[in-house]
Amino acid sequence: MGRILIRVNEEQVSEPIASQVIIEYKVPMVILSAHINSKGGEILVEIPDDTEDKIVEALRKRGVTVSVPKSIEVDSEKCFSCGSCVALCPVEAISLTSDSSVQFDKEKCLGSTCSICVDACPARAIKAVKPNGNGSQNNREKKS
Amino acid sequence: MIYSRSAFSICIKGKATTLSNEGKTRTVEEINAKIRKGDAQVLTAEEMKKLVESSGVEVAFKEVDVVTTGTFGAMCSSGAVINLGHSDPPIKIDHAWINDVEVCHPGAAVDIFIGATNMSEKQPFEYGGGHVIGDLVAGKEVELRATAYGTDCYPRTQVKTTLTKDDLNQFCLLNFRNGYQRYNCAVNSSDETIYTYMSKLLPRFRNATYSGAGELNPLMNDPDYETMGMGTRIFLGGGQGYIIGEGTQHSPKNLSGTLMVKGDAKKMTPEYLQGAAFTKYGTSLYVGLGVPIPILNMGLAKKTAIRDSEIFTDIVDYSVPRRDRPKFGQVSYKELKSGSITINGKKVRVSSLSSLKMAKKVSQTLKSWIEEGTFTLTSPVERLPTSTVFKSMRQTEEIPFVVSVMHPAVTCTEDEEIRAIAERIVTKSVNHIVVVDATGKLRGIVTSWDITRAMAEGKKALSDIESRNVITAKPDEPLEVASKRLAQHNISALPVVDIERKVLGIVTSEDVAKLLGRRY
Ligand code: SF4
Ligand code: SF4
Repeated sequence: MGRILIRVNEEQVSEPIASQVIIEYKVPMVILSAHINSKGGEILVEIPDDTEDKIVEALRKRGVTVSVPKSIEVDSEKCFSCGSCVALCPVEAISLTSDSSVQFDKEKCLGSTCSICVDACPARAIKAVKPNGNGSQNNREKKS
Repeated sequence: MIYSRSAFSICIKGKATTLSNEGKTRTVEEINAKIRKGDAQVLTAEEMKKLVESSGVEVAFKEVDVVTTGTFGAMCSSGAVINLGHSDPPIKIDHAWINDVEVCHPGAAVDIFIGATNMSEKQPFEYGGGHVIGDLVAGKEVELRATAYGTDCYPRTQVKTTLTKDDLNQFCLLNFRNGYQRYNCAVNSSDETIYTYMSKLLPRFRNATYSGAGELNPLMNDPDYETMGMGTRIFLGGGQGYIIGEGTQHSPKNLSGTLMVKGDAKKMTPEYLQGAAFTKYGTSLYVGLGVPIPILNMGLAKKTAIRDSEIFTDIVDYSVPRRDRPKFGQVSYKELKSGSITINGKKVRVSSLSSLKMAKKVSQTLKSWIEEGTFTLTSPVERLPTSTVFKSMRQTEEIPFVVSVMHPAVTCTEDEEIRAIAERIVTKSVNHIVVVDATGKLRGIVTSWDITRAMAEGKKALSDIESRNVITAKPDEPLEVASKRLAQHNISALPVVDIERKVLGIVTSEDVAKLLGRRY
């Protein structure tokens, strides 16, 4: 599953853009987080990897901004397992193991759209990094 | 020797002292003799608790010679004394920086002190004295810059060089407050995220933080300080150090004792001394510290069995920037370590600031040193005081609070017409109207500018123009804090509300300027 971040502006807020794309392409989208008000908003969705390119294109054609969120990485050399980040995470992607080490679940993490934990790390061990490998070759980083 | 359980149970209740083992003791010398022979029985605090639970205090006392404790947390009152050696020609340092962090020069020509919280002038809040100490300990090269006014005996006025710890004469870790016996649990009741020395606190109790190792903490395992004081040899920063007395703010009656410690930083290891950066707060140093507790008597065996469920601390609201902050009851370290606590009936996720994993590692490392015979115990030449009282600052000048300048707010309700509100603005000659509901709770705010614009544009409904996202003040906040908030959000008034968001009044930038004598 790949993650994309959809940004809509004031005019687009009331349009059913996402639903149109879902119906047209018959692709399931899982909404991971959404911050929307009358002035616009951001929706983080998860879609199957092999549909990513065409979905991104379809959304962009409708004029919304689509980007691929950076993922969050913890530098295990720097992390001293203080635990400061654990309770901050809205999706419980960070937990303590039985030996009190801090464990980080990349699958659950919302990525750079959240970043709540990043500036709370006293060891500065948490960083937003560009997603590597699969599919980033076709310039998905660029905002349309 | 076999101790009878019934005799013992009388003893621990303190009703009889003559019956059995109360008088039975061992000495530090006896324990050291065993350490040298490789016979000493050493348990970590964690293991000791389990033993007492499974076999009782008597057995634990009989079998265990030493219990090792540990803690690893941000200890801001840490620093290092360094002697640089003399340059040629010599310099009497006036100002000095290491890696752009200003250091103090409290003594003679080339003695300096690096405080953990001093921040880099180039990367403030990200790099500081704690990091300099960590880098030096790790063997990294640092850059020293110093200036001086020049004297007949110390003519040089500038020096710039690079150094590693091997180039220093003395590199002594000198921490004036370490190892807090227990610490607060921090929450934030306000509407905004705050950044504190207790880390990032999300609005409206969305998280809680705490610090301290609880049942592994050195002072918690010897709360009467029977074995600790000046001269007690300890684990410090991965090397050996000493307690040199009570730490600053030592408050034993409040179960908040602290330690002042020193040790040779050249022999310490980077794993146990790590610089830290707290966003919008500043820099610090994480210190690993462990104290061995000789089990000299049955009482100490019992004390070292203390559990997290018996150690309580206050839940404190850090959004109120006052010395006495509101509290929301108490929690045990057991609850804190469980990951969630209950505040006003609501579940709040909690995590620690200090590392339990590292605290355990400290106690295990100290245990292995004693078992290997590379670490022997010392008796303190003077025990830590048990009756010191921690006083607040004597203030000869009072500072103003929001409550002392706020005045009644001119209000309206959402069903009123813009015209009516416009008239109120004129008759009351105010710039802000606070929108409230029928019970007086805050709904929004409108300014005279919003009203003028609405009238020009022919808008009628208040709901079209009011701002709902209102930045507020609390009555007991220092005015200085409210004034910073005005500047930060570039606004000119703050409705003052109570905890239920009932409007108590309003404070404007004019009020603030009048009292603080400044314009924001
Ligand atoms: S970025 Fe957000 S979702 Fe990811 S680990 Fe940090 S707090 Fe959790
Ligand atoms: S806040 Fe940083 S150092 Fe602490 S556990 Fe999380 S990643 Fe590790």
